[in-house]
Amino acid sequence: MYKLLLIFKYLRRKLAPLFAALAVTLCTAMVIIVISVMGGFLQLMRESAQRLTGQVTIGSDLSGFPHHQELVDELDQLPEVAAATAMVRAYGLINMFNRVHTIEVVGVDPKSFDDVTNYRDTLYWTNQHLLDDLERTLPPIDKMTQRQRAMYESSMQQYQRVDLRDLGMSFTPLHQPLNQPPLPGIVLGIEVSPYNRRDEQGKYHLSVSPLNTELTLTVLPLTLRGTVMEPAVRRMVVANEFKSGLYEIDANRVYVPFDLLQQMLRMDAAEEADPDTGQPTGRTLPSRASEIMLRGQDMVSLDQLNRAVTAKVEQFVGARSGMPPLWVQTWQQRHATLLGAVEKEKMLLTFLFAIISVVAVAMIGVIFYMIVLEKTRDIGVLRAIGASRGGIMSIFLGYGLVIGCLGAGLGTALAAAIVYHINEIQDFLTVYFNFTMWDPSVYYFDKVPSRLDPLETTLIAVMAVLSSLAGSLIPAYTAGRVDPVESIRYE
Amino acid sequence: MSNATDQHVLLNATGLTKTYRMGGEDLHVLQGLDIQIRRGQWLAILGSSGSGKSTLLHVLGGLDRPTQGEVVFDNQAIFSLSGARLDRYRNRHVGFVFQFYHLLPELNVVENVLIAAMAGQSIVGWSRTRVEARSRAEQLLNRLGLSHRLHHRPAKLSGGERQRVAIARALINEPDVLLADEPTGNLDATTGDQILEVLGEFHRAGQAIVMVTHDQRIAQFADQTVVLESGRLVGAK
Ligand SMILES: Nc1ncnc2c1ncn2[C@@H]1O[C@H](COP(=O)(O)OP(=O)(O)OP(=O)(O)O)[C@@H](O)[C@H]1O
Ligand SMILES: [Mg+2]
Repeated sequence: MYKLLLIFKYLRRKLAPLFAALAVTLCTAMVIIVISVMGGFLQLMRESAQRLTGQVTIGSDLSGFPHHQELVDELDQLPEVAAATAMVRAYGLINMFNRVHTIEVVGVDPKSFDDVTNYRDTLYWTNQHLLDDLERTLPPIDKMTQRQRAMYESSMQQYQRVDLRDLGMSFTPLHQPLNQPPLPGIVLGIEVSPYNRRDEQGKYHLSVSPLNTELTLTVLPLTLRGTVMEPAVRRMVVANEFKSGLYEIDANRVYVPFDLLQQMLRMDAAEEADPDTGQPTGRTLPSRASEIMLRGQDMVSLDQLNRAVTAKVEQFVGARSGMPPLWVQTWQQRHATLLGAVEKEKMLLTFLFAIISVVAVAMIGVIFYMIVLEKTRDIGVLRAIGASRGGIMSIFLGYGLVIGCLGAGLGTALAAAIVYHINEIQDFLTVYFNFTMWDPSVYYFDKVPSRLDPLETTLIAVMAVLSSLAGSLIPAYTAGRVDPVESIRYE
Repeated sequence: MSNATDQHVLLNATGLTKTYRMGGEDLHVLQGLDIQIRRGQWLAILGSSGSGKSTLLHVLGGLDRPTQGEVVFDNQAIFSLSGARLDRYRNRHVGFVFQFYHLLPELNVVENVLIAAMAGQSIVGWSRTRVEARSRAEQLLNRLGLSHRLHHRPAKLSGGERQRVAIARALINEPDVLLADEPTGNLDATTGDQILEVLGEFHRAGQAIVMVTHDQRIAQFADQTVVLESGRLVGAK
């Protein structure tokens, strides 16, 4: 009983242990914040990765595989599968603003692609952008010239008729170049155009975007044997841009209509030609796709989905002659390198901060040791009035426990306050100190992730309490070993 | 010399030696010392500084272990007891009063007295005896003239007052013997005499007291005095 009384009294009358509690508080908060931000970052990346590639992808190589439509239909029949879409993938050159870049070209069927990946939501430009841009470039309505007014009104009318995202979905450009047959639309990753720059709020500006710009796309068709044929070149107009959230993708990928890319790559259905003579053989080669992506039903685990799809694909390939081998990959397997890197980084940071936390443990040790030294006489007196060694030890252990709980509690509260307001804090730093902690162009995402994982947070808090206990272990032991006779001999 | 079964004998110490090894040399502080404490006795042990008075007192109180010899209390050799039982012996059967009071600075007067009662109790046990212990503490402090200072902390008290709190702490568990180590050593003569008066009062009420001092005058307050010399007791003076 005297132990509780003394713990309480020592807590109230001493400043030093409050520093120990403060150290625990800061370390706890630090680790929780790091884990939360990095964990949130990882989660965002996972979500983006899933959004981009569906949950499971089936593919062969760049020359593709036939019967994709039948396979998609059969996969759709599986109870585990919610949606499936076939895609053509190729690498090519894009010539825009008289600059040439290499680019990954993906031919998609927008409707089913959207079912699998929520593609529509990644289309960046909406009518609101058009309206905002119009308002920004033109003077207020009452100050407009007649011509401006006419332009304003015709634009308004046009914007009300169409939806920019729908145009992106159907690969239809808003404006076609004048005096020539209409060109097909293309959707660029938002970072493909060198003029697109994310501002501090992570927004892009329509005024510099390549929307409605004409460009040239070049791809190299491959024969079934993998040799290169004559390049296919098409002029196209940018119908919209997409922002998946993953910088690598946004900077290096464009979407074009499935059929168009199939044609360009000569992967559409065609008459077979004898490879040696070049004479038609009279048989028809089926059209080919390079990948099939699919999304599982909500309650189906990735593993279940993977197994069902793999079985289906094996059966499908086995039943047909002339099918190349197909691989089946989950999104986790596909993005293992990137996700693994971030995961490692998270672990590394956590580890580093855990090491820093050792300082807090040492600090508790030192502070408690000082208290024990200062209290040697009192300890002797307590032993003289009948307190046991164990009792004395438990005073300091209990003391460490209380400090730990206090620090862990405060630290968790502090971390929660910071994590939940981290974007406000970041904005504040940017505005008042011109210091950008989270550069969206570096970290893929425009907002600092702010969520607390209850399990991880609890774990860290418990660790903090245990660390404090560990820190008080040696001082407590020392206190238990105090020789009462020595300690009370003098004043 | 009466034997240990004598029902008037409270503490019976035989053949106590205490040797400190300092550098290469042995320092023999106690050298085969015998002593008996009887119920209700007020014994003064007189000795010069460094003669081993405190050492003897600590051994009698179970706080220090002799190099050789035993202290028998209630037919039990206390240094053969387990650690927990020895703690209990110190808590229940002896009460220490020190020259420098040794109160706990964080606790107020009542708490300083009650802590000795708490030390022997679990939380459950304490919740049962709390009220009784508290009233006993207040009664004691009242008898010692401290009833108006119950909630003051030691730093606010004079030396005499502090020593009276220490006496209350030593007596709160109604020990069989009070072990006082130069209880007046740090006080002026008048205040010291008041403390001795107080001890006398408790003695008249039946409290056994062993008091060590180097001061002949103070030893006279006790009803018997022995002298500690060369590690042995050399009869009454
Ligand atoms: N831990 C120790 N190591 C070595 N010598 C010690 C130790 N403790 C006590 N001594 C010595 O033992 C002798 C007796 O000490 P003790 O404190 O019992 O004497 P005392 O009679 O109480 O003296 P005083 O009147 O000064 O209080 C002293 O000479 C002291 O220096
Ligand atoms: Mg002494």
